[in-house]
Amino acid sequence: MTRPRWRLLDTGLRRAAENIALNRALLEARQAGEAPPTLRFLRFAPSALIGCHQSAAQELELDYCRARGIAVQRRITGGGAIYFDPAQLGWELYLDRAHAGTDMAAISRRICEAAAAGLSRLGVAARFRPRNDIEVEGRKISGTGGAFDGDALLYQGTLLIDFDAETMLRVLRVPAAKLSHKAVASVRERVVSLRELLGEPPPLERIQRTLAAAFAESFGVEWEAGGLVPAEERRFEAALAEIDTPGWVFALDRPRSEAPLLSGSHRSPGGLIHVDLLVDTRRRRLKQVWIRGDFFVVPPRTIADLEAALREVPLERLESVVEEFFAGRQVQMLQLAPRDFVQALANALAGAEAVS
Amino acid sequence: MSVVKGCDIPDDLFYDIENNVWARREADGTLTVGMTAYGCALAGQLVSVAPRKAGRSVRKAKSCATVESGKWVGPVKAPVSGEVVAVNEALLENPGLVNEDPYGAGWIVRLRPDDWDAESGDLLTGEAALAAFAAKMDADGFTGC
Repeated sequence: MTRPRWRLLDTGLRRAAENIALNRALLEARQAGEAPPTLRFLRFAPSALIGCHQSAAQELELDYCRARGIAVQRRITGGGAIYFDPAQLGWELYLDRAHAGTDMAAISRRICEAAAAGLSRLGVAARFRPRNDIEVEGRKISGTGGAFDGDALLYQGTLLIDFDAETMLRVLRVPAAKLSHKAVASVRERVVSLRELLGEPPPLERIQRTLAAAFAESFGVEWEAGGLVPAEERRFEAALAEIDTPGWVFALDRPRSEAPLLSGSHRSPGGLIHVDLLVDTRRRRLKQVWIRGDFFVVPPRTIADLEAALREVPLERLESVVEEFFAGRQVQMLQLAPRDFVQALANALAGAEAVS
Repeated sequence: MSVVKGCDIPDDLFYDIENNVWARREADGTLTVGMTAYGCALAGQLVSVAPRKAGRSVRKAKSCATVESGKWVGPVKAPVSGEVVAVNEALLENPGLVNEDPYGAGWIVRLRPDDWDAESGDLLTGEAALAAFAAKMDADGFTGC
C-alpha cells in the first residue's frame, strides 16, 4: 500500500514577523484545503517571542531587545515567552484533527513523542515530558505549543542545537539574581542543547532528515519536498501586513505593575529556601517561580519539576498544588517538608499583599 | 436543559455545531455568544480568553475571541456577522468560568447582529441541535463530558 505523500517545507532563516505570518497563512490554507498536510522547518533571526495571550512588557526586557536588534513578536500559538536564535531549529506540523485526534492533550503527546523518537536517533535520550516539553534526562531540549482553526491544527516546537543561556536570560524578564554566573549555571542544569550532549551537533540537514523520518513513521506518510502554493503566498502577504506591526505585537499589552517580581525566603531545619516569583496580580496567579537555596533534595530535578508544576497556578491553590506535587512522587529531603516550600512562597507573596 | 453524552446542551439556544459555539437572542436584539460544554471538554481547562474589543466588527465564522488551554490557542467563531458590543470582563481575571458555567457566567461576547435573519439559517436549535451534537461526538470519537 502506498503511503500518503505530505509536503516537506523548509522556509529557512527568516525574520520573526515572516515566520509568524507563515504560521497564520499555512494554518488558514490547510483549513481551506488549499495546501497539503505539511512538516515545516524554520529558523529565526534573533527574536523574542511571546505567547499569543501574553504581554510583551510583562514578559520581556524590551530595552535590551531594542538595543541588541532582537525582534519582538507575538505568536499565534500558546505558551510562554522564549528567545529564538539561529542556533535553534523550529519544526511545525500542519494537520487535520482527522490525522491527530480530538483530545488536545493527546495530540500534543503524540507529536512530542514522535519528535522525541527522532531526537533519540541522533543519539540523545529524548523523552516527552507532559504537558508540552521534550527533555533529555530531566533537561529541556524542546518546548512546544499549538493553534487550531476549525479542523486544521498547527503544532510547533523548538529544538536547541546550541544554547545561548546568557542572552536568553537578558531577553526574558527574570529576577536580577538569575544573571549571576551561578544562576546561568543553574539554567544550564535545566536546559540542554545537542551541542552539549553530542560535543559537535549533527549538520542541520541530518537533524531535519531524522526528525522528518520520525514524523513520517508516526503518521504513516512519506514526505515530498515542496514550496508555498500561490494561495499561501497571498495569505502570507495579508497576514504579514497585520502581524508585522506594533499593533499586533502589543495587542494584549498590560502594565508591569500588574506582574511584579517578588522574592522571599524561609529558613527551615533543612536549610534556606529562597523563591523568586513573577505574579499576575490581576488574575491572582503565579506566572513563574524560581526556587534556590542550600537544601538537599533527591532527585535534583524535583525542584525544576516543582517550578513547572507551579506555573499558572491560582494563588489560592498554591498550598494544595505543592502538597499534591510531593504526595505524587518519591523524593528524599533532609529535614525539609513540603510545607517549607509553601512557607517560602507565602513569605514572597506577603510582599505583594499591598498590590492584590 | 438536555444532556448529550454528559455534556449540557440547553434546548433554547442556537448552535454553530461545527465550531462548538452557542448564541442566545436577547430582548434588546443583541446576541450573547459562548463556547459549548462539548467545546470546553475538548479544550480542557482554559488559562486565557482574549475577546475582540467592543466596537470591532466580526464576520460570521471569523474569530470573536481566542482561547488558550494546555498551550493550544483556538478561535471562538462568531455565529453570525456583527459588532462586538460587550465582552465578559470577568473572564480576563478568571477564564475558568467558561469551563465552570459555559452558558451562564462564562459567556464570552455580546454581538449586535448585522442581519440575523439572513445569516442564522445554518444555526441549529432544540432537537435538531441535540441530534447534530450526538452525531458530531460520535464522528469525533468523543467518550463524554
